[in-house]
Amino acid sequence: MAKKSINNIKLGIFVLAGLVVIIFALYMIGRDTNMFGSNYTLKVRFENVQGLTSGNNVRYAGIQVGTVKRVKILSDTLIEVSMLIDTKMKKYIHKTDVVSMSTDGLMGNRILNITPAKDGYSLAENGDVLIAKRSISTDDMLETLDKTNRNIKDVSEELKMTFLRINSSSAFWKLLSDETLPNNLRASAVSIRHAAVNADKMIADIHLIINDVKAGKGSLGAILTDTAISYNLNEAVVKIQQVGDHADELAKQLTSIAETIKQDVNTGKGPAHAILKDSSIVMNLNNSLSNIEKGTASFNQVMEALKHNFLLRGYFRKLEKKQKEEQQ
Amino acid sequence: MPLPQLWRRFLSETGEMSRFTGRFFVQGFKPRYEFSELLHQCFIIGYKSLPLVGLTGFIMGLVLTMQLRPSLVSYGVESELPMMVGIAVVREIGPVITALIFAGKIGSSIGAELGSMKVTEQIDAMEVSGTNPFKYLVVTRVLAATLMLPVLVILSDAISLFGSFIGVNIRGVTSFNLFFKQVFDALSFEDFIPAFIKSYFFGFAVGIVGCFKGFNSSKGTEGVGRSANSAVVVSSVLIFILDLLAVQVTDILGLN
Repeated sequence: MAKKSINNIKLGIFVLAGLVVIIFALYMIGRDTNMFGSNYTLKVRFENVQGLTSGNNVRYAGIQVGTVKRVKILSDTLIEVSMLIDTKMKKYIHKTDVVSMSTDGLMGNRILNITPAKDGYSLAENGDVLIAKRSISTDDMLETLDKTNRNIKDVSEELKMTFLRINSSSAFWKLLSDETLPNNLRASAVSIRHAAVNADKMIADIHLIINDVKAGKGSLGAILTDTAISYNLNEAVVKIQQVGDHADELAKQLTSIAETIKQDVNTGKGPAHAILKDSSIVMNLNNSLSNIEKGTASFNQVMEALKHNFLLRGYFRKLEKKQKEEQQ
Repeated sequence: MPLPQLWRRFLSETGEMSRFTGRFFVQGFKPRYEFSELLHQCFIIGYKSLPLVGLTGFIMGLVLTMQLRPSLVSYGVESELPMMVGIAVVREIGPVITALIFAGKIGSSIGAELGSMKVTEQIDAMEVSGTNPFKYLVVTRVLAATLMLPVLVILSDAISLFGSFIGVNIRGVTSFNLFFKQVFDALSFEDFIPAFIKSYFFGFAVGIVGCFKGFNSSKGTEGVGRSANSAVVVSSVLIFILDLLAVQVTDILGLN
């Protein structure tokens, strides 16, 4: 009988061990699916859930916080995902947190990642809809990669062409193998440096001049800065204008005079007509002029005679003397 | 047209076994219950099988891990080893290997025990003395086998996983914590519950086949050996057939 009870105790231990293991296993499995703990529901809406199903993990900043409870179609472009989140996370998850989709490892299960937003927004309550971030699918990535590859291909082909051209260009290689080139370049660099130094100096001078001009020094400065000069210039211009006006008037008067003279000449009135149009007057004038010529010649003779006259000789001698003194 | 002898025997035995099973359900749920004998059988069938089942489970876990490692290494997913072994052990290897070992040990012992009681006319003597031999011998053993195999499977799973942990650490280094975290992360109720339920059926099959073969043995000591032998063979085959059915059912239910 005692043996029997010991056997029963052993059996009890055996069965209890089995029970403990099964309960532990169930708890361990159920813990991840949040079966034994208080939790609350948050929602997020995607255009495409890419194979997400109920039971997939939800992580908050990389920490396992819950699972996907249900995936429901709201419309043809909107799918609502309900997530069961551990109540302990209630004080961390905000309404503005962003939910994105990714895979566990390279080819693992789909997971939802809640990325914490900046603090200060109100906390998410049961049933709130969080912000969904459009995830990049592998197809999108491959598509972009395809474009990139094509571009790289084009670029590499062009590079190849360029290199081929460079390789086949004898001028380039000559340039590269030219040993005097560096020296020339160095000399050029030195010259350029000198030039630069000179230019620097020049600029400094110009700067000084400009400063002077600004300060009103020199004539240019005076012109540019002295207001009195500009006033005078204005006045001068006004006067020139007045002179111009007067000249204009004068010209008009002259024209009218010329008109009357012209009329007179043409109609045979006045002395002008007589001078210009009457040929007898010309003859007379000629005769008069020749008479005057003759007169002046004889006057010259008379004058010479006077110089030699004793009465006047003294005066002319004094005049010569005075002239000689001035020359000395 | 007369059926071939073999077919006739097979069909008649199937029919007899079905009737035997029906009788088990009829007698099993009628009072009075043989609790004390049931506990005794549970002790023998369950507790006494643990060392054997534990050893095989441990070796299975270790060997499976070592065998899976090279192919996982070639894919560069060595870190998924605990996950793979965990799922394999819990879903399939644990229940089936344990049930087969159980069939080998318990099926044969029940067959031989009941067979020898039958040929030595102890069963008839029981009937004469007023004890219902079916209730006392068959119902208790079948119930014990049905109830104990799931417990053995669970313990065997745990020991297998421990063996697998050692197997992982022979070549690599993984902490105990990480190993079990990975295993349980990979497991879900869909892996665990069907395997647990099917182990009840395995246990029932082993118990009922062993009892049937023993209860119906004949022709002296030769018959005892034959009934023990065929109990093991039939129950092992039944385990595989049940496994096939179970995988179909879980597949239909979408639990795979």
